[in-house]
Amino acid sequence: MAGELPDVPRSATVRQRSFPFDRCIPLMAKVELVRLSKSYGGQPAVDGIDLEIPDGVLACLLGPSGCGKTTTLRLIAGFVEPDTGEVRVGGALLSSRERTLAPEFRRMSMVFQSYALWPHMTVAENVAYGLRLRGMPREEVRRRVDAILSVTRLSTLSGRYPGELSGGQQQRAALARALAVEPQTLLLDEPLSNLDANLREEMRFEIRRLHDAYRYTTVYVTHDQAEAMTAADLIVVMNGGRIEQAGSPQDIYQHPRSRFVASFIGGTNILEGEVLARDTVALDGLVLRCREGEAEGERAAVSIRHHEVQLSGEPFGAETNGAAGTVVRQIYLGAHRDYLVALAGGTQLRASAPMELDLAPGTSIYVYLPPENCRLLAA
Amino acid sequence: MSSGEALATPGAALARAGPSSRLDIAGAVLVACGLFLGLLVALPLAWLAFFALTDKDGAFTGANLARLVTDDSLAAPLRISLIVATSVGAISAAVAAPIAWFVARTDMPGRNLVRVLITASFVTPPFLGAIAWEILAAPNSGLLNHWYRWLHDLPPFVHLFDIYTVAGLIFVDSCYAFPFVFVLVANALDRMPADMEDASAILGARPWRTAWRITLPLALPAILAGMLVAFLRSLTLFGTPAILALPGNFHTITTKIWSLFQYPPNPGLAAAASIPLLLLTIVLLQVQNRVLGRRGYAVIAGKAGQARLLRLKHWRWPAFGLCFLVLCLPIGLPYFALLKAAITTTIAEPLSLQTLTLKHVRFVLFEFSPTRLAFQNTVVLAVATATTGTALALVVSYATARRLVAGHRLLNFLATAPIAVPGIVLGVGLFLAYTRGPVVLYGTLWILFLAYLTIELPAAYQQLQSAFRSIHPELEEAGRLFGAGRMRILRDILAPLLKSGVIAAWCFIFIGVMRELSAAVMLFTAQTKVISVVIYDLNESGDLGAISVLGIALLAVTFAIVYLAQRVGGAGIGRTARPA
Repeated sequence: MAGELPDVPRSATVRQRSFPFDRCIPLMAKVELVRLSKSYGGQPAVDGIDLEIPDGVLACLLGPSGCGKTTTLRLIAGFVEPDTGEVRVGGALLSSRERTLAPEFRRMSMVFQSYALWPHMTVAENVAYGLRLRGMPREEVRRRVDAILSVTRLSTLSGRYPGELSGGQQQRAALARALAVEPQTLLLDEPLSNLDANLREEMRFEIRRLHDAYRYTTVYVTHDQAEAMTAADLIVVMNGGRIEQAGSPQDIYQHPRSRFVASFIGGTNILEGEVLARDTVALDGLVLRCREGEAEGERAAVSIRHHEVQLSGEPFGAETNGAAGTVVRQIYLGAHRDYLVALAGGTQLRASAPMELDLAPGTSIYVYLPPENCRLLAA
Repeated sequence: MSSGEALATPGAALARAGPSSRLDIAGAVLVACGLFLGLLVALPLAWLAFFALTDKDGAFTGANLARLVTDDSLAAPLRISLIVATSVGAISAAVAAPIAWFVARTDMPGRNLVRVLITASFVTPPFLGAIAWEILAAPNSGLLNHWYRWLHDLPPFVHLFDIYTVAGLIFVDSCYAFPFVFVLVANALDRMPADMEDASAILGARPWRTAWRITLPLALPAILAGMLVAFLRSLTLFGTPAILALPGNFHTITTKIWSLFQYPPNPGLAAAASIPLLLLTIVLLQVQNRVLGRRGYAVIAGKAGQARLLRLKHWRWPAFGLCFLVLCLPIGLPYFALLKAAITTTIAEPLSLQTLTLKHVRFVLFEFSPTRLAFQNTVVLAVATATTGTALALVVSYATARRLVAGHRLLNFLATAPIAVPGIVLGVGLFLAYTRGPVVLYGTLWILFLAYLTIELPAAYQQLQSAFRSIHPELEEAGRLFGAGRMRILRDILAPLLKSGVIAAWCFIFIGVMRELSAAVMLFTAQTKVISVVIYDLNESGDLGAISVLGIALLAVTFAIVYLAQRVGGAGIGRTARPA
């Protein structure tokens, strides 16, 4: 076993039955991925990603299925060995092509998509398992189990078997088991995907609340952008094994850098046109000045969110960024109306308009796309 | 339906007429199947109970059952059987569980080879294994004892092993019982989500601890169920004890039942001696169902993925060596012994060009008169049973899996009930039922056909039922919405999806018939001998060379069919439809 340990200072006292953690991972848990790659059968699942997650931050790996986010998580956990690149936690090298520290020495814990609660143990036994492994005295184990069960509101269910719990209770039990050991890094693999919609929304806030209480560095994998927006400090959008963009939820939403990020996070219009200047694109009788991004080459795409498009029955009278069109479809959605507008050349735009603007399909309409909301995207 | 109602809703009546008339035919077929199934088991068992509880004049008596306790010539075999079966169960679990774990969870080399060898010991007829071990470890003539004497320069009659003992019987029995435990445990491990073990690892448990605290408890139901199967199989086996216990001058319960039919026959006592065997089987199968059926072990499906294999490092080759040595006992040594006996004049001679001979092959194929008839009987019976059994199982499993008729539970019970009737007990029951009117089948192939059909039906039924269950009813419902009738759907949708399952079921019945001995040995006559009975007869006359030739032929056919079943079955797996 000793051959697998990374080069980190060992503590002077190693108890006989004690846990090997004090020999490997320093307490600060900044997670760094350096040019990390993994392919299966020649098909890259993770394709040379670089990422730094500061200590105490909750980071969401967000992307469609097959984008490599789960493989990334399993690389961090040590279940998968990288082809190239490194995984470092708190500066210590945990995974590289040459050596991968086994998961049991990583001071991490994980909530699995299936929860992976052991069916032959009660909730309390499941939660106590990791604590017992650390050679903790019986009294201390019981005290900590009670504490974490009351935080996760499972105290009355401690004697139940996993098969006797509802989905939400199982999910909380899995979370309690992961939190009880006070991990340096907490990994969550689509933890809410097996819950129904209401419970999912409630548990999003629950996870955020527990993170605010404990502040473990957390890596959270999900394909649900609402989950990521609610829970994350840092959103990492992945696609095709690469990181498209990483930033705060607000940053990702307001300043998407690529077409993929813009359309994956929140609804958006993508308008492709001819480049007139570094900040100006023309299409379909529309000249768009953009406050953000720079155009390169001859053609470029502009993103503008549905709710940022302004509609009116009268011309806006602005020099650029406005055009006339026809209402194709209008849907009443309670809080607003959802319009589909066709411009003269056939380009279609979606827009949310206030309730008061009620125009039937076929009537003419004027659109205005404010420059401060128009973003030029990288190809 | 009165004409008034028909007039009132002519459209509805028309709409109903089509499918319901089809269902009526299907219903009649199902009722016939149900009656036939009921008769198949109920008739022999009724006669069995009748004989056990009456004396020669047909008056009620408890004397036969009482003798099971008071007469030590009956009580002792029962005791020995229980001792043997318990030991076989324990040994099988102790050997099979670690091998299954090595194969399913570690990076031991040659894992596929081990699986193949275990499949080989799975399909080796136990009586053939027993004869091979006779060749190897009989106290005087056994090859191993011969080598031992030669190595240490010892006088004749000194021996290392004596296979004609209770210990020898336990050993040989375990050799061919442990694959049952292996298959159950390996299956359980293969299906156990990798997350279960990963969750333990990430919390800090070393691999051995994860194996001990998580993997083992999760596999425990499968291990217990496997022990029960091994126990039951050993308890009801006839061939192995007949070959090993009789020369050793002791009886197990199955050989005792058989001997009660030898001259002078005592059918009443034989029937009584069958009763404890029958009851024990029924009770233990109930226990097994309860152990395996506990739904507490339900697991939520996630992206479980491939289980990570434990790195054994420098223990890799020792682990493989251990598995290999264990597998020499049911496969390596016995197959070598059979091969050597088949091609040398006498067993004990060293293998060389001078001692090579084809005389056994010639004898079996051309000179020994029962061979041809027995081969012919066996093939006719195997084909007939496999075809009828598969068809019957197909119809009944469709009805029960789709709950077509009100009595589907009863049908399910009737189709699985034969599992609880040991072959030798069924042999006794069929003998008693069909040696007298109104239908006399004794002395014909029909009685063997009924025996084989009864014995093999449950396995085929269960396999096809699970095949039906894996095809979601919505696939059929989609077809019905386009206007296809039940029969049309059967042809267009179900048949292509079920093909591999049906072929596999047919092959397994075929193999089962070829190797069956315990019922056949009660029911054969001079004109209705089958291969297994001929082998058993030859063993009594001590002609090991001829047995070996026949045995190798039997094995070759068996392996060819297993290979075929796996090729066809394996090719079909990817196409099994399963909605997400």
